[in-house]
Amino acid sequence: MFPPSALLSSRKLILITDELAAPADFLLHRFLSTKIRENKTSRCIVLSVSEDFERWKAIAAKSNLSLFQTSPGENLVFIDVLAKVQPPSHHEEKREIDAFLCPIYDLLSSALAPSEEHRETLVILDDIATLQWLGFTSIDLTRFSRSLRNLCAKADATLIIRHHLVNPPEVEPLLQHLFQLSSYHIEVRPLASGRSGAVSGEVCLHLGPAEGDATCPLTSRAGAIQYRLTDGGAIFFDKGTSGGVL
Amino acid sequence: MSSFKRKAPSKQASLAPGTRFSPASLSTIITSTGIPSLDDILGGGLPLSCLLVVLAPDSHSAYGELVQKYFIAQGLSCGHKICVADDDAIHLVKECMWTPGSLQSTSTPPSRVEDEDDEKAIQHDDKIKIAWRYEQMKRFQTTVSSATSSADDYCFTFDLTCRIPESVVDAAIVAGKLTFLDVDSPHDQDVPVRRIIQQIQDILVASSAAQPVRMSIRALGSPQWGDLSPADILYFLHSLRGLLRRHPHGCASVSFSPHICTDAWGGPGWQQKVGWLADAAIGMTAFGANPSLISLFPSHHGLLQIHTLPAPHSILPPSDRFSALRGLSSSAGGAGGTGENNLAFKCMRKRLIFETLHLDLEGGVTERRTTPSTNAIALEAGALLEPPSINADGERKKATAHVEVELEAVEDLKAGEEIPKGPQPIAEPSKMKKPKKKVAFHSDRPDLYDF
Repeated sequence: MFPPSALLSSRKLILITDELAAPADFLLHRFLSTKIRENKTSRCIVLSVSEDFERWKAIAAKSNLSLFQTSPGENLVFIDVLAKVQPPSHHEEKREIDAFLCPIYDLLSSALAPSEEHRETLVILDDIATLQWLGFTSIDLTRFSRSLRNLCAKADATLIIRHHLVNPPEVEPLLQHLFQLSSYHIEVRPLASGRSGAVSGEVCLHLGPAEGDATCPLTSRAGAIQYRLTDGGAIFFDKGTSGGVL
Repeated sequence: MSSFKRKAPSKQASLAPGTRFSPASLSTIITSTGIPSLDDILGGGLPLSCLLVVLAPDSHSAYGELVQKYFIAQGLSCGHKICVADDDAIHLVKECMWTPGSLQSTSTPPSRVEDEDDEKAIQHDDKIKIAWRYEQMKRFQTTVSSATSSADDYCFTFDLTCRIPESVVDAAIVAGKLTFLDVDSPHDQDVPVRRIIQQIQDILVASSAAQPVRMSIRALGSPQWGDLSPADILYFLHSLRGLLRRHPHGCASVSFSPHICTDAWGGPGWQQKVGWLADAAIGMTAFGANPSLISLFPSHHGLLQIHTLPAPHSILPPSDRFSALRGLSSSAGGAGGTGENNLAFKCMRKRLIFETLHLDLEGGVTERRTTPSTNAIALEAGALLEPPSINADGERKKATAHVEVELEAVEDLKAGEEIPKGPQPIAEPSKMKKPKKKVAFHSDRPDLYDF
């Protein structure tokens, strides 16, 4: 039911925003496992900021999928971003801007290097907001996301970037920029009425400015699809049809 | 011969004392925070490899520090390795609470002494005549009992009126189980965040994987930490969580200094950012800052907010399925279906309790009719039965009482009318009857009952 199958093979930038009460972890895991399952030769690259590989593995194992961290050129490449780069400390003197995230760009471009057979590729950046909170400047991250998108467009890969909303009505500059870059925007929101055992939250799919016509069915806020989390994923259903609703 | 073999329960033996498997999955090992009701909220306990953050923004009380003391006392009781990062760590540890029965050999078993408050309340309740159709129903419970977990040494029953024996602390230091990290060092050019992370890493690397390690930080962001920026604190949390993930026999509990707990310090969305970078983040908002809340909820000391809950190996936090206090799964079945309970905490003479918050029958506009008085009676009776002992947490209690009295005065000034004093803190048994009468008159106060 969600996400539409056309979305994953759109080879565009998909922006996911979520809030603390309704984390979008389940969507990232779902995208990854769907991609690996549907096509054995596809390639997935995870740029991880906030989750370690053990958790990815444990959650994939719950849906009977075993992930192995393999060498570049194989199915799954897992890059721990903050093991490779350190956020700039405001206590030390300024270094050259752009220098901080270069190693990640280089790693990704080598991982995306064209191989002999043409393979579908999925790149996931699991948390760009945390990078900002840890001290990377907004301008650095703007440039980083733009170059990621260009890199993925060149390699014909789908790019998924997740951003956290911490102050929902307000949109910060980085997020505005990501909006402009995105072809699709998936919005994960908690219920306004608070946590519930039957409904964990709702998802909407909007068209982004970078895409002219939608190739997959969109979901507006009014018709948002609700979901309930389980140990290894989520169950989607239309509004008002959960088991707990009278 | 059959090829099927019974699986030998070999894993059971390898668990360290004070830990158990999470009810959700065998890959998660949890340990207790020392407070049974907090364990329940976290889904059985704090999973190893996870980071708990306690935000207690009220600067007149020290509930964040109290949680740390429970965490340390529980670790010492189970023989875990403990690392306290604080300049005054030794005093913090010496002020911890302890189990009642271990010091003096009293004739009453410890569990009886501990549950005295409850039992008194129960006796009191029994005198009430109940309509026949409700008589068979289960007694209404607002919190989880600690009796279920007292079978093993998973969660000890601590008593705030007992102080940890010096010998226990000394023995732990000699055995290398209790280590202290100095936060403020003269050699530091910068804020100590990166140095502390390095030291914690050294400790985790040096310790054996079979023995759990507990990190405790009493007041992150207090003056001893230097001039921390929000990015420094988030970097610290992120690095600490990364360390714990790499060394899954460690767990950490961090309380923030009161002034950095609110969005006013870290900018809009600060608490949410902390929630994203911690595995579990709870907020304990004491009523001290708001006189009208004190009078509205006379039997509680603050509200509990849950920002995030640990889910180290699953998407759904185990707490959603197993927490009785949050009550998300109470209607069972695949569908679940109930909303989350409102939670509050209260610190009684002997323990800290998290429990569900309920409005009164009348809709919350009057006092809760039985509980405050039974609490006070129980406390009074307890004080008479027991010889006066040195209060392990004396300073904190005094501080609490002082705050409440002070704020009542503020309230009086603000209202500018002869207003009854409102519910007194339960520490004054002699004035027990007064608040009951006076609360009834509260209903004509415009600021509270603005219908």
